[in-house]
Formats: sequence, structure tokens, C-alpha cells
Amino acid sequence: MTLLSIKELSKTFRTPSGPVHAVREVSFAVNQGECLAIVGESGSGKTTLAHMILGVLARTSGELSFDEQPLPDKRTMANRQSIQLVQQNPLSSLNPKRTIGASVRLGLDTYQIGDKSARWKTVGAALDAVGLEPSLGKRVPATLSGGQRQRVGIARALACNPRLLVLDEPTSALDVLVQARILQLLNTLRRERGLTYIFITHDLAVVRNVADRVAVFQSGQLVELNSTDAIFTDPQSTYTRQLIGAVPVVDDTELALRNKLVGNQ
Amino acid sequence: MSSVLNINNLTLSFKTLMQRVDVLHGIDLRIEAGEKVALVGESGSGKSVTARIILGLLQETRSAVVHGSVLFDGKDINTLTRKERAALRGTAMSMIFQDPSSSLNPVFTIGHQFTEVLKRREAKISQADCKKRCLKALIEVAIPEPARVLSSYPFQLSGGMNQRVMIAMALANQPSLLLADEPGTALDVSVQAQTLKLMHKMVTNHNTAVLFISHNLGVVREFADRVYVIYRGNIVEDGPTAALFANPTHPYTRALMAAVPRITGTGLPQVPEFSDEFLAPRVSHGVNP
Amino acid sequence: MIRALRILASNPLSLFGLLLVVLIVLVAILAPWIAPFPTHNGAVVDFAFANKAPGARNWMGTDLVGRDIFSRILYAYQISLTLGIVVLAIATPIGTVVGLIAGYSGGWLGTVLMRIVDVFLSIPPLVLAIAMMGVLEPTLTNAMLAVTVMWWPWYARLVYSVARSEREEGYVLAAEVIGANTAHITFREILPNCLPAIITKMTLDMGFVIIIASSLSFLGLGVQPPTPDLGSMVAEGARYLPDSWWLTVFPGLAILVAVFGFNLLGDGLRDVFGVDE
Repeated sequence: MTLLSIKELSKTFRTPSGPVHAVREVSFAVNQGECLAIVGESGSGKTTLAHMILGVLARTSGELSFDEQPLPDKRTMANRQSIQLVQQNPLSSLNPKRTIGASVRLGLDTYQIGDKSARWKTVGAALDAVGLEPSLGKRVPATLSGGQRQRVGIARALACNPRLLVLDEPTSALDVLVQARILQLLNTLRRERGLTYIFITHDLAVVRNVADRVAVFQSGQLVELNSTDAIFTDPQSTYTRQLIGAVPVVDDTELALRNKLVGNQ
Repeated sequence: MSSVLNINNLTLSFKTLMQRVDVLHGIDLRIEAGEKVALVGESGSGKSVTARIILGLLQETRSAVVHGSVLFDGKDINTLTRKERAALRGTAMSMIFQDPSSSLNPVFTIGHQFTEVLKRREAKISQADCKKRCLKALIEVAIPEPARVLSSYPFQLSGGMNQRVMIAMALANQPSLLLADEPGTALDVSVQAQTLKLMHKMVTNHNTAVLFISHNLGVVREFADRVYVIYRGNIVEDGPTAALFANPTHPYTRALMAAVPRITGTGLPQVPEFSDEFLAPRVSHGVNP
Repeated sequence: MIRALRILASNPLSLFGLLLVVLIVLVAILAPWIAPFPTHNGAVVDFAFANKAPGARNWMGTDLVGRDIFSRILYAYQISLTLGIVVLAIATPIGTVVGLIAGYSGGWLGTVLMRIVDVFLSIPPLVLAIAMMGVLEPTLTNAMLAVTVMWWPWYARLVYSVARSEREEGYVLAAEVIGANTAHITFREILPNCLPAIITKMTLDMGFVIIIASSLSFLGLGVQPPTPDLGSMVAEGARYLPDSWWLTVFPGLAILVAVFGFNLLGDGLRDVFGVDE
């Protein structure tokens, strides 16, 4: 079943040096419960696309629908509640002057879910779900480690009880040991809560291990969309092969696979 | 036999009004002429401060307490004067940083900055000579239209192009040691892969020794001859790249290795963020060359 | 709070500034009780002791009608501090709101607001105040009004630039994605991050407001006699230099000490808030 459908979506920015086509006539669908990876380098339009899905950037043209209902640029609170974001930089994504609890509670306040004590209970539960002590809610972001802050970012999105999570490079700023734990957590949460993920990243090795399908973007266009298995056994576009060829590998089986897919560069 | 760099029992702590924070707890590290050595670790492990000590920068910070010896071409960086240390930088040792665009000065042309670099070694170099050597260096790093690049400002060039310029500048004075701190991490993956290959070729051609600082095991594996793994201010494992990657032995190295996602799709491993085993004593593979 | 005090205390100059400010505030509040001649803040005449040099009875000497200068300085501090506090209490919120709205909303509204601010900023502050005082009656209230009108645009400028950069932070995007309203984002998310800069500027500005107010009274445009004011005391005494030097030097020193104290404290606060862990 399709949860989010995108049809011929475009975004053009007007700049002093002429129009910039950040996203060009992109069409694809995200299925209920899947993890769709969006892969691309800087300038691929992946962030612009995410901002249009999240409703913080108006489209130039095209259609979006969520759960078979059209998703306008001017979102209802129900629209907003069902699509949440986890950002890349866990330091900047939390307001340094607000407590963790206040940040996580923002969605509940905005959508007016429950009374005051129920909201605090939800905040505690969300922190618990991401493996943090609910008592951390009283602290400010500066006293937390990078991994803990990223967990708070996930808890903030979860507290809203969303159906779709847009994960924008959620682990690129983290150390590899912390990354492994966060990816595990995201996997568990998706399974337990039946969430749908749009996982934006440039790291194909991460994609291989978390995504069901992969959409490869280049210069605002969708160049390849296929199941993860297909992408990593038989990549179709030159650009996908180029991206796979650039992945640094750590063991010989990986090296053999890379060489098989893209030739010994 | 004398090494290009020989670090013995290097310790570093930062003093503040109230407390003392120990950052390095006795680092031993050696680099032979023309050898490519990687120092790999996570954020806060002490890898970047090590580079700053080798460059002689941290010794000039009042709050930093540095002990042990850092022999560069037989001279101890720790005992040199401020002036002597400054004279080494940009001549006998040079550095490539993470973000090429911010390490080049935006208000001067590439040509101007390149000339400054060459003048550090040869103050009275002639204009024509200078231009000739700049062009030659840019051609060597496969920059198309080198004359146009010389008259450009850094913001007019792509990140990858700036990184190539940085490599050319870093090697222009034939340094015996190149420090590369997370080179290209700020760039796109495909550009990063290309520039690393180029850097590898360049330092091999020039027989320049490299200390390659990175958090990325895959990148290290493709670049370095030998690897040191650093964790919380201690070297926990070291050895030739092939041996270390084939048989990671220290618990921390093993966890690090296991945590790297593989394109073969072996799934997400269950590794702890911390374990007491990570504090086990150092493991060395084979004899240093 | 404790951390802030510790950073402040680690710099002897800032600590000195804090001590001066506390001292000035205390003597201003306690003026009626600690002034040797508490009645000398008004139109008192005592020709027996007129124009006396500093001595045991009058530590800073007396003025031309025999009033104790030390007592008058204590009362003048009351006036200066009140004026500074009132001016900043009005100018800061106005400037902050204008700067926040312009900084977060951007677009045409931001442009219009900031152009208005630029118009005010393009007129030299003292000239604007003098022009206003030329039209209005020279009273304490009007002096405060004049200084306020020239002061708020500086806060608008400051808050605007901080808000512009905070707007790009991830936490603002997070609030927008959730759908929080503009009032929440501007006042609950962005404003707290502007406060350190605002508080620092207010402390520094206390000194400057005191100088500007003194300049106005020096020119005869501010507080009127017999109310004691540091600026008018300097102005009156200036005619009798160098013979009756105490008429000018002590009020002048009083201005210096106040401005010095607030500036040192302001610099210290900048260090406190500048440290972001």
C-alpha cells in the first residue's frame, strides 16, 4: 500500500544568476512500512525534496499525496503530525536554551495532545523508547553526548506519533560505534511501530544494511529506483556505479563485490 | 636508521583554573621516509591534537602541557624555539585540512597564495620561475587549464579542484612529512575518492612520508601502509595495514571494524558504544619496518 | 549562574567592574541615609560655607551656594541610574521585538522594518536628542524620551543580526516541521538565544546612557536645577576652573567611575555568554 505518493514534483529557485532547478519532475511512491533510501551528493536536490515533503518549502509544481489524500503546501495539523523529521546535526537541531523535555514536548503542545501531565508522560515514554533515562528531560543539550542528542532528536519525532519519518543523514555526524547503535534503534522502532522511513544519506554502505529500496538522485533528477538487492547486484545507471565505486571498503569480500560491480577502478 | 618522525611517550594535558584534563597518555609513533601511516580514531580520541603537536602549534598554547619527545628529522619539536618551529611548517612539513575551501584565503588568487608557499622555502625566487613551478605543480595534480586556475579565487573553483590545489601546494616545497587531517571529509564521496587516489599517487611519486588522520577505516585501508589505532589518548593497536585489517586483535579495533556497515549487506552488528575491554593493553602486529 | 559568576570572577577587571556597579547602585539607593547633608539635593542655600575646598566637613568641597558636593553626587547617581534603567527598559523591548520580527520573517516586512531602523541610525544620536530637546521642554521625562528614541534602533540592529543567524539553526527547522506558530518560534525558540547579546549590550549601554544624559544636561537641555545631575554639575563648575576645581573634577570623576564600572562588567558578561559548550 502506498503511503506517500509524489508526482512530477519540481522546485525551481529564482536567484540573481538565473533559475536553479533543484528538483525536476520527480515521481515515486513510498510504501507503508518500508525504508526508502534517497541517495545523492551535494546538489542532488535531496534536501529540497525532503523540505517539500515536510511542508516547510512550497513546491513549484507537481502533486503530493499522503494516505490517498492530497498533501497541500499549507498543511493541516494532522498532516504535520503524521510526517516528522530527524536531522543530521544533533547539536544544532536542539535549542541550546531549552530543556530536552521542552524540545520533545513541542509537538504535543502544538497538536494539543492530552493534558499537561499526559504530555509529560508521553515525553518520558518517548525518551525511554530511544534508550534514554526520562530524567534527562530536565537537562539542556550541552550536557549530552552526540549520540544522546541524536536519540533526543528521534524521541522528539516519535512523541508526535507520526507515520512517516524523514531521516536526513541521521548518522553522518556520529562516530561509527554510535552510528551502529542508532541504526539498530531506528530498525527496532520501525519494526515495533510499523513506521515508514525516508532515509536520506550519501553513505551507500549504510543504505545496503537499512533500506528496502533505493532512489538515486543526481542534479535534481531521479536516475535510478530499485530494490536494495537489485541496486547492489546489478546497478543500472553509470552514476549509481560511480557512487558504489567510491565507497571505502574494509574487507576483501566487500572489495571483491565492489570490483565485480564497477570494475577495478 | 633515522625516521622522519619518531614520537616517544608523548603526553598532553590541558590545565584550566580548576582542573587538569589528560588528553594523551604516552603515544609512541614512528614514520619512516616515504611511508604512509594512518592514525585512526573516533572524535575526542586525541588524533587531531597529535597532529597539532607535530606541527608545533599546541606547544604555543599556554594551557597545554606537552611532555615526551617528538623527533622530526632528528630534531625534537618540543624543545625547538617558537621561531624554529614556525620555520619548519610549510617547508619541511606541510598540512592538508578537512575542508579545502576554508583553508584557502578567499581574498587572494590561487596564484598569489601558491607564490607565498614557494617563497617560504626560497624567499628570492624570481617571478618567472615561480609561475613555471606553479603551473608544473598544477599540471601534476591533473588540473585542466592551470593558467586560468592560477588567476582564479578559491570560491570560483569546485571543492574537488580546491582540494587538488591544496595537495599541489602542500607538496610544492618537497616536504619530508605531510600531515593530512581528515582530508576531503567535507567533499562529496566520489570527489573524495578521486582526490585520495591522486594524493596517494603524488606522495608515492615524491617519496613523501604521510601521517594520515582519519575516522574512516575504509579510507585508511585504501591509503595507508601502516596503521595506528588511537582510543582515549592511547595507541591500542598498530601494524601493517594488511595484517591489521586481516586480523584485528584489540577489542576496541574489533568493535570498530564490526561497526562499519558493509556493502555486502551483512546486517547491523550488535556492538557496544563502550566496554571495559576497550581499555586492554596495546597490541602490535609484527615488527615495525 | 554559579558558572557565570566563576567566569566573571576569573577576570579581575570584570570582577572590579561588578564591584563598582554594585557600589554605585548601593550608594544611589542609600543616598538619603548616607549623604552627610541629605537636604542638599534641593534648593538649599548656605553662604557661610559657599565654594569651600575639600576638607573635613565637606569631603569634596561645596558649590557656589554652599551645598555639599559629595551629597549631591550621591543623589545625582540616583537620577542617572533611574534615567539609564528607564531608557533601557523602554528601548530594549521595542528594539528587540522589531529586530526579532524583521530577522525571523525576512521578506518585505523585514526589509521595511530595517529601513526604518536605518533612517534612525543614520542621524548622529546626540544631534537627534538635541533636536528633540529643542522642541520639547527640558525636563527629566523629555530627556528620557529623547534618549529612548535614539537608542532602540541599536537593539533592533543587534537582535536582527542574531535572529538572522539563529534562523538557520536546525532547531528552528524542527519547530517549523512540527508546525509551531510564528509567535512560538520567534519568542520561545529564537529570543532566548538572543538574550545573552541583549543583556551584554544593556550593561555596556548603561554607561553610554549616563554619558549622553550628562551631555544633554551639560548643554542645559536635560535635568534642570536644583535637581542634582552629574552633567549640569560639571557644566556649572567649568566656568570656575581652575580655581574652584572641585566643582568639576568630582562630578566628572563620578561619571567616569560609573561608565568604567558598567563597561568592565559588560565586557565580563560578554565572556560569560560567549562561552558555548
